[in-house]
Amino acid sequence: MTTEVTQVTVEELATLMKTAAGVTVDPGELERRADSTFAEFGLDSLGLLGIVGELENRHGRALPNDAERCKSPRAFLDLVNVALTTGA
Amino acid sequence: MTRQVAVTGIGVVAPGGIGVPAFWDLLSGGRTATRGITLFDPEGLRSRIAAECDFDPLAHGLEPELVERADRYIQFAVAAATEAVTDSGVDFGAEDPWRVAVSLGSAVGGTTRLEHDYVQVSEGGQRWDVDHRAANPYLHRAFSPSTLASDVAERFGAQGPVQTVSTGCTSGLDAVGYAFHTIEEGRADICITGASDSPISPITMACFDAIKATSPNNDDPAHASRPFDAHRDGFVMGEGAAVLVLEELEHARARGAHVYCEIGGYATFGNAYHMTGLTSEGLEMARAIDAALDHARVDPTDIDYVNAHGSGTRQNDRHETAAVKKSLGSHAYDTPMSSIKSMVGHSLGAIGAIEVVACVLALARQVVPPTANYETPDPECDLDYVPRTARPRRLDNVLSVGSGFGGFQSAVLLTGPGGRTK
Amino acid sequence: MSGSGIRPRHTAVTGIGVVAPNGLNADTYWKSVKDGTSVLDRITREGCEHLPLRVAGEVRGFDASALIEETFLVQTDKFTHFALAAADAALQDAGLSSTAADSPYSVGVVTAAGSGGGEFGQRELQKLWGQGSRFVGPYQSIAWFYAASTGQISIRSGFKGPCGVVASDEAGGLDAVAHAARAVDRGTDVIVVGAAEAPLAPYSGVCQLGYPELSTVEDPTRAYRPFTPAACGFVPAEGGAVLIVEDLERAQRRAAVVRAIVAGHSATFTGASHWEQSREGLAHAIRGALDEAGCAPEEIDVVFADALGVPEADRAEALALADALGPHGSRVPVTAPKTGIGRSYCGAPLLDIVAAVQAMEHGQIPPTPNVFDVCHDIDLVTATARPAELHTALILSRGLMGSNAALVLRHGPGSAV
Repeated sequence: MTTEVTQVTVEELATLMKTAAGVTVDPGELERRADSTFAEFGLDSLGLLGIVGELENRHGRALPNDAERCKSPRAFLDLVNVALTTGA
Repeated sequence: MTRQVAVTGIGVVAPGGIGVPAFWDLLSGGRTATRGITLFDPEGLRSRIAAECDFDPLAHGLEPELVERADRYIQFAVAAATEAVTDSGVDFGAEDPWRVAVSLGSAVGGTTRLEHDYVQVSEGGQRWDVDHRAANPYLHRAFSPSTLASDVAERFGAQGPVQTVSTGCTSGLDAVGYAFHTIEEGRADICITGASDSPISPITMACFDAIKATSPNNDDPAHASRPFDAHRDGFVMGEGAAVLVLEELEHARARGAHVYCEIGGYATFGNAYHMTGLTSEGLEMARAIDAALDHARVDPTDIDYVNAHGSGTRQNDRHETAAVKKSLGSHAYDTPMSSIKSMVGHSLGAIGAIEVVACVLALARQVVPPTANYETPDPECDLDYVPRTARPRRLDNVLSVGSGFGGFQSAVLLTGPGGRTK
Repeated sequence: MSGSGIRPRHTAVTGIGVVAPNGLNADTYWKSVKDGTSVLDRITREGCEHLPLRVAGEVRGFDASALIEETFLVQTDKFTHFALAAADAALQDAGLSSTAADSPYSVGVVTAAGSGGGEFGQRELQKLWGQGSRFVGPYQSIAWFYAASTGQISIRSGFKGPCGVVASDEAGGLDAVAHAARAVDRGTDVIVVGAAEAPLAPYSGVCQLGYPELSTVEDPTRAYRPFTPAACGFVPAEGGAVLIVEDLERAQRRAAVVRAIVAGHSATFTGASHWEQSREGLAHAIRGALDEAGCAPEEIDVVFADALGVPEADRAEALALADALGPHGSRVPVTAPKTGIGRSYCGAPLLDIVAAVQAMEHGQIPPTPNVFDVCHDIDLVTATARPAELHTALILSRGLMGSNAALVLRHGPGSAV
C-alpha cells in the first residue's frame, strides 16, 4: 500500500470533524491552529472516538490506543499518519 | 408527622447465583461472577466478557406463558419481586390496592428483544423498510418501557402510582428514591421498587465498545472488573435485577413485619457537563450526598460505609473518590468504600437497586462487602476500598451512590436501628 | 405534594414550548387547535409506506439545524431534537433563557419518554447487523436510551438541579409534570418538564403494530374518532411540549407571567388493555387530583379527555367522569384536540396541558376534530370552538400499559392562591 493513499490530510480531518461530530472548522484554520486543543474547536472525547472509528473502518485496521487521547490536531495527525504509513 | 420509610422485603437476581442467599454468599466471599460471554457469540467485539445470570425462569416459578411474552429483564424483575414480596410477608389481598405503588427502573429496557426481532424483520440488517410480517406478536411490549412496572404491578395487584424510571445507570437508585418520596409524601403505603436490565446483547456491547468504556481484558475475565485499582481499564457488563418492598414504618409495625432498615434520604442532581464524561471534582455527586444526608438528618461523620458506583472506568473512580471526600471530609479516610461491580459487573440501570440491596444486607449482617480484584493503589483514588475480603464492622448509616450517562448523580441513605444520630 | 391534600408551595406554569404536528410553536399550535384543524395524514416517512399503519400525525417542516447546534444534532435522535427545541421555546417564553449561570442547582429537568430514539437506534442496528460491530458509532450509547432528552437539555443549558426521567406509557406525561411540581415543593425553584416523541421510524412502526388499540384505517378523516360508534383505535403521532414550572412566589417576585397553576395530580393503575377497569382507575385518579387541588367537582370548567378511540375505553372514560364528578360529569364540556393531531405517547398529555392553558387564557374550548356523532353521555365539544369562562381544567390520560392519571390546572392570574 502506498503512503499517498493512507495519509490523513488536514482537509480530511476537518471533514471528519464535521460529519462525525458536527464541528464546523475551516481546513485552513485547522492547519494554522494545529497545536490548539480539540476542545477549543468544540470537539469532545466522543467526537474524537467517532473519528478514530471512522478512520479505522476506512483503512481496515486498528489505530493505536493513544489516538483518541490526542489533545491537538497536530498530535493526532502525526500519530495516525505514522501508524498508517508504518503499518504499526 | 413525618412518614418514615422502612425496607421490609428484598429480592435479587444477580450473576453468580439467583436469590438473596446466593447473592450475599458471593459478596461476602469476595468472589467474582465475570466470565466470557455465553449469551451470544461475541466474536469481533472489543469487550467479550460479562457477568451473566444463570437464570432458568421456569425453575424460579415463572409461568411458561409469562416466559414467552416477557423479555429477560422483565423475567428477572418478576423473580426478584416475588422473592421480595414473599420475604416481606405482605398479603396484598388484605391491602388497599390503591395504596400500593410500583417504581421500577431500567436503563435500556427491552433492547435485547428489540434487537433480536430487528434482525428478523430487517433480513439481518439489510433493509431499512423492515418487514412487519416477521415480527413477534409481543414486540410492542419490548418497545414500551412501562411494560416493566406494568407487569410487576399486575402480578401483585398494585393499583396506586405505577411508574418506570429510566435515568441511565442511576435508574435503580432513582427508582428507589421515587418510591421513597411516594411513601414519605403520602401517595402510597407500600411500594414495590427496584430495577432490572438485561443488556448483554450485541448492540449494547457494541455501543460501549465504540466509546471504549468496557474492559477489553478478555484473557482474564475473572479479574477484569477492577474498581479503584491503578490498572483498571473499564467496566464489565452485567445483568440482573433487585427489588425491595418499601413500606411506611407504622404500616409495617402494625402488621408485625420485620424491618430491615429505613431509607433515610435520597437526592439526585445533574452535572450538566457531558453525556458520558465526568469531572475530576465530583461536585454534583457531592451535592447529592449532602442533600441525602441533610434530608435524613445524618452527619457526614455518622456514615459507616459507602457503597460506591465504582464502575472501574478511569474517570468514574476518580470522580467518585473526589465527591466522597468533598462530602465526608477527613471522615472519608476512615470510611470503608467498596464496589460490588468488581464481583457482579455493571448491570446499567439495575445495578443501583442491586447495590441498595447489598447495603440492606450489609446493615443486616454488619459486614462490609469487599472490592474484589483490588491490588494496586491509584494515587488519585486514596480511600479505603476494602480490598478483596469482606470486613465485619458496626454499621448504622450507609450510603449508596451512583452516576449515569446523561449526567445523573444520585445518593440514597439507609439507616439501621442505631442510625440517625444527629 | 403532601398527603394531607394541602400543597405547601404552589407551582406555576410560566413557560410553554411546543413542537407538534399541527404547529411548530405554541401560537400556531393554538390556532390549529382552536380552529379544529386536523393534520392527520398518510405516513410519508421513508421506509414506512408499506406498513399497515397508514395514518399518523407527522411533524413536518421542522428544521432542526436552524434551532439546534450541529454538535447536539449529530449525537441525538429526533425525539431529543424536538425536546431541545421545545425546551428552548419554553425557557424563552418564561424569560429564563440565562438562568443557569446564576444558580445552576436551582433548575432541574424532567422528561417523560415512551419510545426513545427509535430512528437513531434503527440506523445503528443496521450498521451493526449489516456491516459489523465496528461500524456502530459512539453516540448510540447516548441517543437511543430514554434519558437522552433530560441529559441533553440539562447539558445544553447548564441546569444542575434534580433531573429525572419517567419512562412510561402515555399517562407518564402527566406524571412527569407532577414529578416536577413535587420537586418544586421540595425546594427547587424551576423545573423544565416535558415530553416529545418520535415513534414514526420504520422499525418503531413495526413495534407499535402489536398494540391492539392502534388504528390501521386508511382514511385520515376516519382513522381516529373516539366517543363515536365508528371508534376504531388511535393514531400515533410525534412531537410534544415542554413547560417551565416554577415556585409561584419566585415567579411573582420576578414578575413573570403566571400562565397556570399545577393544582393537583393523581395516578392509578388498572392493567394493560383492561379498558373496562380503567373506569374505576380513572375515577379514582380524578378524585385524588381534585382532592389534592382542593377542588370541588363543579369547579371543573373543561375536561381534556384521554379519548383513546377504543369503544370500551371511551365508555369507561365517559363513565369515570360521571363516577367522579357526579351530575356535573355529563354537563361539563369535554374536548379532545388530539383527534386532529394523533397521540404522541408521553407527549400527548403535555400537548393537552398546553391546549388547556391556552383555552383558559383565550376563553375558548377547542373542538374535537373528525368527531361528530357522539354516542356517550358527555358534552363533547365538536366542530367549532366554544366560548366559555374557564378557571379550572381537568386533563386525563391513560396509557397502553395500564396507567391512568389526572391533573388539575387552575388559570394563572385569576386563580385564588
